[in-house]
Amino acid sequence: MFNTLKRKLFGDNSESKAVAKSRLHFVLVQDRTGLTNEEMAGFREEMVKVIEKYFVIDKEGFDIKYHRLADTTTLLINSPVIVRRVGSPTPNSIPVTMDEPEGAAASNI
Amino acid sequence: MNTRNSGAGGKKDLGEVIVITSGKGGVGKTTTTASLGAALALRGQRTLVVDADIGLRNLDVILGLENRIVFNLVDVAKKICKPSQAIIKSKKSNNLFLLPASQTDDKDVIDEAEVRYVLDQFRREFHYILVDSPAGIEQGFRNACAGADSAIVVTTPEVSAIRDADRVVGLLSSKGIEARLIINRIDFDMVRRGDMLSVRDVQDILGVEILGVIERDEQIIVAANCGEPVTYNPKSKAGQAFTRIAGRVCGEPIPIPNLAGGSLWDRLTRKLGVST
Repeated sequence: MFNTLKRKLFGDNSESKAVAKSRLHFVLVQDRTGLTNEEMAGFREEMVKVIEKYFVIDKEGFDIKYHRLADTTTLLINSPVIVRRVGSPTPNSIPVTMDEPEGAAASNI
Repeated sequence: MNTRNSGAGGKKDLGEVIVITSGKGGVGKTTTTASLGAALALRGQRTLVVDADIGLRNLDVILGLENRIVFNLVDVAKKICKPSQAIIKSKKSNNLFLLPASQTDDKDVIDEAEVRYVLDQFRREFHYILVDSPAGIEQGFRNACAGADSAIVVTTPEVSAIRDADRVVGLLSSKGIEARLIINRIDFDMVRRGDMLSVRDVQDILGVEILGVIERDEQIIVAANCGEPVTYNPKSKAGQAFTRIAGRVCGEPIPIPNLAGGSLWDRLTRKLGVST
């Protein structure tokens, strides 16, 4: 009990459960998709590139999850957007307009 | 898609076939089959437990019926005996019967069509037919799933067992068989220390409905030693858990204790924003 409290209070992250969770997360993504490590890394890299074309994102927070519900598997891509890139020049100079008018989209964040 | 309900609720005269499987060996499939079968029988449900682990039969030993076997699953499939000649009534209950596996054949001696034929011989006689699947995902597993209306996937809160359970849930889903999960051998002291995945963790990872949670319990070994399902021991926590699971199988809305509210400690830490 006190060890648990101590670990929680002082942020000691030595819980073996956390290790189990992250290992499972890794191995299940491989099992469910049938992609190899290299393919997964490649997919991730390309996804980041595509999103970065339009947004400035926090690459550290970029995360791909395979979430299975009763009879469907959903690909969840979580990409924290730091700032919208609308108005600033994009690599291919593609004018990007989202669902809001240009004036609002270009506001400083 | 929802074969479970159409099997049991739609036609009352036909029994519901549930396959008990796991992928990984040694997680408690046979114990679950025997204990859940006994619990259903105690509720007055006529229940047949089928040992589909051809060549490595064990359900007979767990039920203490090893010295009463004359015919087996393969004999019924090959029409060597009448279906009624192969099933053995349990010592403890008039509602619980065993269809043993053959010990001398290989797993591929019968195919899925033959398993369906065997199950059809018993569907009108029983409310529930529980099929104990062998470990693995090969022919033995495919045979055990043939004719199943739904599945119970047994896992323990360990990386290897959960990984295999995930694979099996995927395979069942591709066959259109809905799976529910039993988490076996959980140790809540270890969960509290952060050294074991919690019920919620396992559910989040697998994304499958939880049917029940069985605590690690020495009485399971004692029961296996004696050849009597742990369900008959009213003091055993595992026995009580199987009784609750039988209630859920019969459609009673019995909550999973460690999923809804969690322990006082769980609720406290959640409130404090500590991830557990």
